[in-house]
Amino acid sequence: MSWIAVASPLLLLVGWEIASATGLLRAVFFPRPTTVAEHFLRLVVDGSLPHHGGVTVMRVAWTVLLATPPAVAVGLAMGISRRTREGLDPLFAVIYPIPSVLFLPLISFLLRSAEAALVVTGAITPFFLVAYTTMTGVQQLDRTVLEAATHYGARGWRLFLKVLLPGTLPFIFTGLRLGLGYALIVLIAVEMVSARDGLGALLWLSWGILKVEEMYAALVAIALLGAFLTWGLGLLRARLLPWVEDVAGTAR
Amino acid sequence: MPPLRSPKVLIREVSVVFKGRGSGLLALDRVSLEIEAGEFLCLVGPSGCGKSTLLRVCAGLIPQTSGEVTIQADRPGAPLTAMVFQEHALLPWRTVLDNVVFGPENRGVPEADRYARGREMLALVGLTPFAGAYPHQLSGGMKQRVGIARALANDPEVLLMDEPLAALDAQTRTIMQEELLRIWAELGKTVIYVTHSIDEALLLGDRIALLTARPGRLKQVFPVALGRPRGLEVRASPEFGALVDKIWAELREEVLRTMREEEGTRR
Repeated sequence: MSWIAVASPLLLLVGWEIASATGLLRAVFFPRPTTVAEHFLRLVVDGSLPHHGGVTVMRVAWTVLLATPPAVAVGLAMGISRRTREGLDPLFAVIYPIPSVLFLPLISFLLRSAEAALVVTGAITPFFLVAYTTMTGVQQLDRTVLEAATHYGARGWRLFLKVLLPGTLPFIFTGLRLGLGYALIVLIAVEMVSARDGLGALLWLSWGILKVEEMYAALVAIALLGAFLTWGLGLLRARLLPWVEDVAGTAR
Repeated sequence: MPPLRSPKVLIREVSVVFKGRGSGLLALDRVSLEIEAGEFLCLVGPSGCGKSTLLRVCAGLIPQTSGEVTIQADRPGAPLTAMVFQEHALLPWRTVLDNVVFGPENRGVPEADRYARGREMLALVGLTPFAGAYPHQLSGGMKQRVGIARALANDPEVLLMDEPLAALDAQTRTIMQEELLRIWAELGKTVIYVTHSIDEALLLGDRIALLTARPGRLKQVFPVALGRPRGLEVRASPEFGALVDKIWAELREEVLRTMREEEGTRR
């Protein structure tokens, strides 16, 4: 990492600290970073951040588990069969751009459990992202590689398991990486409007009773969670896909 | 009269029409060829003449529209053909060794046997130290060696090679030609080898089959009366030069025809 990547956020924090301490920023709305850090630690120690954080992490995990298998299946089908692609493309084109939070009322109506409604709402955008990247993954597979694989006996389920799936895996991971980000965004938003726990709920409640320091602590926790998820997925990708030329870069 | 021997590969009146607009595109027109067991046959012709198509018909990758290809199977269970592709076509997510054993793996050869065979073939192409590497870590020449080892590991009745050296730089190609001569001498496989280089065909082949510009017809078959074992020095011999001239005289017409037709379609 270059020094500027460390220096720029540090500079921002120091500037903020000074501005809040000297009254340049109103400390009521912009408490000093050191104060936020204090509150953050207190919320960790009293168990509320671990609790809310854990709830959000579980929801993200369920969201991804719910979205990925059907998304990969649909994406593979769309990549392999032109008919499926042509059939689903217009449908996707209409549904995908709708902010998925807007589905919450409808899904809450259909599903009895508020928890299930949360997770399903969060799963919508990741589903589309993974389906699209998987489809692209199938389409970019080298035709000669496919020809050679078939020639050397990979047909039927063998072609699927030994060629199509590993060949599209880097793209599935790209979809997952984008999808994780969206899952977090949507879940936090949904937690803000309709949950009692989770980091989004903590943030919203803290704001509601003007505990601004705790709101910032929740914000920091969300940011850390997002960064941690991206980092973890990167590690998993490097571990599972040692054959990808540049693991840190875009999928090839 | 000599006893009737059936050839290793019998290509009889093979035609291929690619479906498209109107009546389709005639790619191969009644090509007949016989290849003896252990023979190294080179297919030469202008680009687009259908030499790769003929090879793919032999491999069963493209169905012929009419005619037939018969391959004499001598060993039960062995695959009839194994192909070396121009663009190596290795599976990027498999290590070198796992690429090499891909054919036997799909045929259900027990793990120990296929890996033993795979290692043997890797040793033959000189890549033992790279067994655990991934294709993207290898140079072009090394990838093509893996492609050759993969084909050999499948132990086919006939080895098919589709311009395997065309994508390599000139120096690597020369080294690989020597390697091919050595490997072929060691294994004595029947080979059908597509190339656009007369030099390469003469260096490697027992006979050279020349195809016409599209639609591909068999124009002429040249026996290569150069001794074996053959090395690169053979290129300096007067016989070699005479053969190059003779074949080029025939090929040149076809290349010019192809160029004229391309001009025509562009207009």
